[in-house]
Amino acid sequence: MAKTVLKTNQKTEMEDRSSLKGTLASVFFLGIFIIVTWVSVYYLFVDRF
Amino acid sequence: MITSTAAKVKVDPRDAKLSMAHFFVAFSALALGGLMGLLQTLVRSGKWELPWGIDYYQILTVHGVLMGLVLTTFFIMGFQYAAVSRTTGGHSSAARRAGWIGFWVMLVGTLMAATMVLLKEASVLYTFYAPLKAHWIFYLGLTFVIVGSWIDGAAQIMTYARWRKNNPGQPSPLLSFMAVINTVMWIVATLGVAATVLFQLLPWSLGLVDTVDVLVSRTLFWYFGHPLVYFWLLPAYMCWYAIIPKIIGGKIFSDSLARLSFILFLLFSIPVGFHHQLTEPGIDPAWKFFQVILTFMVVIPSLMTAFSLFATFERYGRSKGATGLFGWFRVLPWGDARFIVPFIGMAAFIPAGAGGIINASNQMDQVVHNTIWITGHFHLTAATSVVLTFFGISYWLVPHLTGRRLTKAMNKLAIIQAWVWFIGMVFMSGSMHIQGLLGGPRRSAFSTYGGSEQAAEWIPYQIAQAVGGTILFLGIILVLIIFVNLAFFAPKGEEEFPVAEAENPEEKAPMVFENWKLWLGITAALILFAYTIPFIDIIQNAPPGSKGFQTWSKW
Repeated sequence: MAKTVLKTNQKTEMEDRSSLKGTLASVFFLGIFIIVTWVSVYYLFVDRF
Repeated sequence: MITSTAAKVKVDPRDAKLSMAHFFVAFSALALGGLMGLLQTLVRSGKWELPWGIDYYQILTVHGVLMGLVLTTFFIMGFQYAAVSRTTGGHSSAARRAGWIGFWVMLVGTLMAATMVLLKEASVLYTFYAPLKAHWIFYLGLTFVIVGSWIDGAAQIMTYARWRKNNPGQPSPLLSFMAVINTVMWIVATLGVAATVLFQLLPWSLGLVDTVDVLVSRTLFWYFGHPLVYFWLLPAYMCWYAIIPKIIGGKIFSDSLARLSFILFLLFSIPVGFHHQLTEPGIDPAWKFFQVILTFMVVIPSLMTAFSLFATFERYGRSKGATGLFGWFRVLPWGDARFIVPFIGMAAFIPAGAGGIINASNQMDQVVHNTIWITGHFHLTAATSVVLTFFGISYWLVPHLTGRRLTKAMNKLAIIQAWVWFIGMVFMSGSMHIQGLLGGPRRSAFSTYGGSEQAAEWIPYQIAQAVGGTILFLGIILVLIIFVNLAFFAPKGEEEFPVAEAENPEEKAPMVFENWKLWLGITAALILFAYTIPFIDIIQNAPPGSKGFQTWSKW
């Protein structure tokens, strides 16, 4: 009797429609932007006062 | 909108008429105020002088009052009035009457103040700081503008209250809820400016008293002045949260999150005025520190808004089959002016917000205070994020109200307008930011400061501001062409008033959000806590009052 082989090594390409990973990346970008601008002006302050 | 199934899809024509009346005043203010802005940048380039004895500080006052107070207040009241009408099913005749009375009172006040500025009796800039002393008619005119806006706002509150009464146990339509939050915040905030005008500046300018307590008046002004900027911003957020999702074909990420962020704005945007007075002597630093903390609390609802918008866009993009980390970004409707014009405004809020966090930080305020960095900052917040969103709203709202259509040609022109604005603002606001970091002062006409080396460094940036100001003025001409077209000449037809639905309509917003006693109670408690002790201190330890000064040239 022939054995039915279940192919398990085939990758299914299914992206979750409800994924919010782009949003996560975007808010990280936003946070980093805020921190970088803040720190830059803070260094100006430290430098001047 | 979850609960507005009974609401009319179109704004009632009688309500439309009142909204349009507001917009005519708002766009007239834009035309004249914009021209003044152009002239200012030309004067500051050092290459041109004002003719006929017109004074720089006079046109600066006209620009600030028209753009910051008249354009914004009239546009916001007109927009919110229409949004409440659209989502509740229309105003009652009593509310409509209140709206018209408010409109006329505001208009009379505007004309009174404008006349005094034109007669060179009130070149006190839009902040009208004492001890600069204007003619009493200027202050009385501003009082009329504020009282008129209360009556105008009362119309929205009346219609909201009627809707609540007719729909017990139901959360109100999101746009109406947001409009009422903004109106309530405005009423609470304007109590401060009304107090300084009525009890200090009017008696002083009438000659009933000789001197004015400068610190008290500035503190009352900034009690009002910071929520003023949120009063400008929240209608833009109304569009971003509750209208843009419908325009792109998506859903509101979360109705409850949107309501919560508006409540946080009500709570935290008022007890924070000291962050405008960080360099001001006479206020205990501990209380400045406390208000700075509260200021940073206002960052939270703005970050919530950013998250919510990204999420709305990503959900929509993925529903259209977009893949990858940022694939959703490409499928947004980039050819639709109703989307892209406010979108440029949203993007501008990223550097604008980052700059705001810098301004509110005590140490960094020593770097930027009273420099033209601040002017650059509020030209990103108010003059880009807010007004581009207002323009984006008017591109569908004006034809909706006048029974016309936004044609393809006007849609294209609107997109060009927004890009022209963006480019102009990159030049103008960008160079203002840099010049400010180099120490260039704000609120000042062209000067070489006696041939100072440092002042010479600023001049190239002032020329860049004139280039940016000229491009921006072209942008204003385009806005006015589009506005006049949509109001009078566009083909007759139906233009949609887009109102988005929540992604999960079965999730009703918690009714606690409509508990006004609770939110007004917390608002009052925070204000009393942040202001009572320092205010007593300011009054008890006040220096002698100041007589009035008129530093500008007269006709």
